[in-house]
Amino acid sequence: MVASLRLPSLTSILFPATTRRYPASLRRTVCLRNRPLSGFATAPSGTASPETKSPEVDRLRSDRAVTPRSQDFNAWYLDVIASAELADYGPVRGTMVIRPYGYAIWEAIQDYLNVKFKETGHSNMYFPQFIPYSFIEKEASHVEGFSPELALVTVGGGKELEEKLVVRPTSETIVNHMFTQWIHSYRDLPLMINQWANVTRWEMRTKPFIRTLEFLWQEGHTAHASPEEAEKEAKQMIEIYTRFAFEQTAIPVIPGRKSKLETFAGADITYTIEAMMGDRKALQAGTSHNLGQNFSRAFGTQFADENGERQHVWQTSWAVSTRFVGGIIMTHGDDTGLMLPPKIAPIQVVIVPIWKKDNEKTGVLSAASSVKEALQTAGVRVKLDDTDQRTPGWKFNFWEMKGIPLRIEIGPRDVSSNSVVVSRRDIPGKAGKVFGISMEASTLVAYVKEKLDEIQSSLLEKAVSFRDSNIVDVNSYDELKDAISSGKWARGPWSASDADEQRVKEETGATIRCFPFEQTQGTKTCLMTGNPAEEVAIFAKSY
Amino acid sequence: MVKSVEDDLGTRLGSQMISDENSSVVKTNQALLTGEGEASVNSSCERKKKEMKKETRLGISVKRDEDYGNWYSEVCRFGDLVEYYESVKGIYILKPSAMKIWKTIQRLFDAEIEKMNVEEYYFPIFVPGSALEKEKNHIEGFAPEVAWVTRAGDTELATPFALRPTSETVIYPFFSKWIRGHRDLPLKVYQWCNVVRWESSDPTPFIRSREFLWQEGHTAFATKEEADREVLDVLNIYSRVYEELLAVPVIKGIKSENEKFAGGLYTTSIEAFIPSTGRGIQAATSHSLGQNFAKMFDVTFEDKKGKRSMVWQNSWGLSTRSIGVMVMTHGDDEGLVFPPRVAPFQVVVIQVPIKGAADDQVLCNACEAVKSTLQEAGIRAKVDIRDNYSCGWKYADQELKGSPLRIEIGPRDLANDQVRIVRRDTGAKMDVKRGGMIEQVKDLLEKIQRNLYDVAKRKVEECTQKVETWDEFVKALSQKKLILAPWCDEVEVEKDVKKRTRGDETGGGGAKTLCTPLEQPELRKDTLCFASGKPAKKWSYWGKSY
Repeated sequence: MVASLRLPSLTSILFPATTRRYPASLRRTVCLRNRPLSGFATAPSGTASPETKSPEVDRLRSDRAVTPRSQDFNAWYLDVIASAELADYGPVRGTMVIRPYGYAIWEAIQDYLNVKFKETGHSNMYFPQFIPYSFIEKEASHVEGFSPELALVTVGGGKELEEKLVVRPTSETIVNHMFTQWIHSYRDLPLMINQWANVTRWEMRTKPFIRTLEFLWQEGHTAHASPEEAEKEAKQMIEIYTRFAFEQTAIPVIPGRKSKLETFAGADITYTIEAMMGDRKALQAGTSHNLGQNFSRAFGTQFADENGERQHVWQTSWAVSTRFVGGIIMTHGDDTGLMLPPKIAPIQVVIVPIWKKDNEKTGVLSAASSVKEALQTAGVRVKLDDTDQRTPGWKFNFWEMKGIPLRIEIGPRDVSSNSVVVSRRDIPGKAGKVFGISMEASTLVAYVKEKLDEIQSSLLEKAVSFRDSNIVDVNSYDELKDAISSGKWARGPWSASDADEQRVKEETGATIRCFPFEQTQGTKTCLMTGNPAEEVAIFAKSY
Repeated sequence: MVKSVEDDLGTRLGSQMISDENSSVVKTNQALLTGEGEASVNSSCERKKKEMKKETRLGISVKRDEDYGNWYSEVCRFGDLVEYYESVKGIYILKPSAMKIWKTIQRLFDAEIEKMNVEEYYFPIFVPGSALEKEKNHIEGFAPEVAWVTRAGDTELATPFALRPTSETVIYPFFSKWIRGHRDLPLKVYQWCNVVRWESSDPTPFIRSREFLWQEGHTAFATKEEADREVLDVLNIYSRVYEELLAVPVIKGIKSENEKFAGGLYTTSIEAFIPSTGRGIQAATSHSLGQNFAKMFDVTFEDKKGKRSMVWQNSWGLSTRSIGVMVMTHGDDEGLVFPPRVAPFQVVVIQVPIKGAADDQVLCNACEAVKSTLQEAGIRAKVDIRDNYSCGWKYADQELKGSPLRIEIGPRDLANDQVRIVRRDTGAKMDVKRGGMIEQVKDLLEKIQRNLYDVAKRKVEECTQKVETWDEFVKALSQKKLILAPWCDEVEVEKDVKKRTRGDETGGGGAKTLCTPLEQPELRKDTLCFASGKPAKKWSYWGKSY
């Protein structure tokens, strides 16, 4: 629609008689399939092509109760996303529409990280989404890693393109192509940029937020004059992600280094933060890569050092995506629905006014409004649900399902006693309910802020103890198998080969999530081979 | 090709820098020895700047009014707004200063749109071919520009997917699903995203590129009145983005039948005008879609009486084209000129050093102190600390990159507890006491913002010409005017005008209506259409356009 904004002339829209069409063969296939097929998570195996899903037939059941988490984790996850209106399925299988409530969580992530990136000297840029296929081929392991997932544009403007274009799965190649032109001498270094963009990976098994064909992320790319600097940068960024996870999202991630097999295609070292979801599967929540000189050699990205000698730059890249939103849902949610940590909750407090008779309504609503005003002024994100179409009970359930950390109830009796009732989302029932909190602005604001802080730290504590009670220290392959088959994470000394690692994966379904930064002291022997080992690794099934 | 030019530029700059630095030292020292004082130090830098630009081609190699096309592409590139991406034609890399300006636009827009209760979403980039084909005019209009994903990994896709050229066909099926009763209305969504249009003609940074960034809004209402009101509310926000932030004067108006969005009811737009080329440029659009799309996509609701009705829809968009229009409006032969409100850096502080003198570090500290004072007062400021460039080179660089103010600090300034402030828009210089600097800078930034708008407004007004006859029209067109003419409002007449003016000496396509301004001059009863001689119904703006 807004189409005309960019069109040189609108006549092409109005009088299309002379316009070129894309090839007839293409068109036929486009029209062919319109039957509703798979939704998320149920990708048909064997068919390589995602099907068009008719939007009329939706599998997201927004008006049904949420399946209890304890009963079916996956169904619960999809229900929560639908009921809390976080996202909807897109028209193409494996894509999603991020709705305002879900998008607001993503914005909270962006707001925090953007500030941290700027503080550490990075600038935002925007690189094109289209990458010539030849770029991707330049770095051998990169193309090998990504080629099965590449979406290729071969037809543009009604013509077969001379060179097929890749819809970016990640931007190392195009970034390096440009870095090569921008970097001449050591004075141009370090070059540190970031972009917020959409990326495409043609995955077969998809799940909203966790793995979608298109997703949103930030990708940082930096070039340095020395390997030490690049290593420092890669570590610094994983540190920023770790702090973000702990402090903002109350997710106690485990930072560490990926095994060779799990390292990013084209990186020397990949650092990761691994989170334990409510079903005890691991979620890789963010990564930071030390790319060494792999891309700079492939693309000839060189600089003249202080002695005038040409050297290849040392690089890093690092990313966090909308997957993090999925991580938040799966870490804190419960049978009732979503549970959001106060720091990233789009709404921190919901006020539910309660009245029976019409003559009570005015008093209750005016008290509710002034409470809202007071909290808003104090910087609390607050929502007053004053519709008269739903009962207070319905509203309680609804906002609990949406995961709002605190609820304030105000009824006629509260108005006359000038107080409110405050309920915590994270402590169900009476135990989480406190009566008679003064309505007086400064008292109430102080109380609410204190409770929000308490909830934030309580969610983290709960997640930490859940995580720690589900990690088992193992010293043999049998112990590892036992731990994995009981759904837990296994931590044990590891110095075995890639082939052994592969074998563990095939036999147990678990992979090395990371070699955690935090290592136990003392001599270790590899759980698989009995040879001396330097480090413990964490094994788990993962998303 | 671009690459080799860059390399060339790089090495040439490198060698030039060194020799230039030395000569700077000599000149500066001479100036001091001869007791000419600070003023002459500055002016020696000034002289040097000119020589240097000639030798290193740091600056723009063509004059704006002599070769507008190349001037524009050079200011965009050398001014560090974009990088050309020679690997895929018609696509550009947006560099940090472009992104900072875009962020500023986003912030103002977000704040305003939030007041209207429009919520931010993200819709997928992939459009199934079947959805795209649902609206016939839509696919006919976009088919020539659509990029298709036909392969995933090694597999040919059974059904290719289009990359969104715009998102109606993605979003409206969801409207159909989400809207049930009158309580679900109004539904107001918008998103910031990239879109893809594989246009073949004349790619130009910001103005026309195959991938670009924009905001698109889509709304549904129960009544036409509400929808109509919103069309204009949004148009007003767009006009404020241009006039208040980018200092670009725009005309609010309604598009002709020929130029409106196909399938919609009517289109409103804001139009800017580029005097140097005599072309109008559509700056943003806000469409009333009526109920046409509601019918196509079955977007209906149950009203209060339980009757099903179709919704009334709008859509509206503003893209990174706005940055291009700003560059075109304010840029000059030295390079970019940023309005202070969007300038990534409002002040660049540059030291005017004396090489070898002991107080070099003192000067450096003074610059940092001035920068900090400015930053604490909320002014976006930076010091050009690069030690391998002379001050003259830095002046030229600052002018090229468009910062509204430059502050120069030399030893004499230090001794007098003052700084020298230079305006980018007028070149005016003034010495200001350190104590009153903040107020002065704030005042100047306000003045520059206003002045840029006023100058641009005056230029457009000078170019605007009212005509009543065909002969006057043709003459005005050849003089690159923005033409206001009485018109009978007939589709055939507009087509005819376009045909008759195609291929004249001003080049490009034929002339067409830019818009019918909301503010109409008085139309005498007996006024005739300039082109058809029939009774005129309205005053409309005509011209060639981007």
